Amino acid sequence: MTDTPPTAESQKPTRALSAYLLGTVAFDALLAFQRRLIYDISGDRTTAALILCDHPTGITIGREGSRSHIRPNPEDLNARGWSPRWVSRGGGVMLHVPGQVACYPMLALDAHGLTAGAYLDQLQGVAIELLREFGVTGEIDPDHPGVRVNGRRLVHIGVAIRDNVTCFGMVVNADPDLELFRDVRCDGATQPMTSLARESSHRVRVTGVRQRLLELIASRFGFDRTSVFHTHPGALHQRVRHAAAHRP
Amino acid sequence: MRAALTLPVLGSSRVTFSLWYVRRGDCIVEGDRIAEVLIPGATFDVHAPATGTLAEQLAFPNDALTPGQVLGWIEEE
Repeated sequence: MTDTPPTAESQKPTRALSAYLLGTVAFDALLAFQRRLIYDISGDRTTAALILCDHPTGITIGREGSRSHIRPNPEDLNARGWSPRWVSRGGGVMLHVPGQVACYPMLALDAHGLTAGAYLDQLQGVAIELLREFGVTGEIDPDHPGVRVNGRRLVHIGVAIRDNVTCFGMVVNADPDLELFRDVRCDGATQPMTSLARESSHRVRVTGVRQRLLELIASRFGFDRTSVFHTHPGALHQRVRHAAAHRP
Repeated sequence: MRAALTLPVLGSSRVTFSLWYVRRGDCIVEGDRIAEVLIPGATFDVHAPATGTLAEQLAFPNDALTPGQVLGWIEEE
């Protein structure tokens, strides 16, 4: 048996994606985890990470957002537990509710030969492809990245690029309670957001959307290897409540 | 010697200055993030090209920017 000589193709560095399929993640925990991943990726730029999760109900406001896009007054917001949080990402106001899939790819743009604008185009391409698989035709608005269907936004996009590594990303309304969006003008849109479940004739499950997003991101950005995790290192430091030991 | 802090190519025709993370006269180290610019949908951190002191700020919040534009000057150590 002879060894095959290494070809140029086999010597090409492999791109590895670590995908974190998490459940509901508090926003503070997400920010800490993102910071850690950005630090790791900026050190080894051939690696990348993807967080797929959802958040407890709350509002985030990006650099293009305004408090005036949120209808309830501060007292109402406090009563609902929706205190708005200003975050250093692009995009406007976003209401996070259960039934969404938050998709945060973290990759080094220089390693992928992308500019910030090209990365946003790719991200919108992923969203359009996802919607197409559910039989929905999405439209892109170049002035306000994100995807609309029949004039209503379905995918919110808001990205931050630090040390040329991307963070935050997009939020897809898979099957949330749409009534809540009447109170918040997400990304400044006059029409409330819509969802995949509302627009598609297919059965929409949050886990299915999450899985397809993982596959689409991996294929679009050319990752050869994907490792999937269902927990994240930050979770290890959370206090765990154990039942009290029985003392006779 | 002075080093120019320039706006990299971001692949977007609409770039606006968002904010400075440092003030004029502050000491900075090469690689520090010192300013943030905004394209529709994304923020981008601009990093210091040299170690020294921020000598001049030429861009201000909401200014429209073009690739290669000088945002400020760093007085090198």
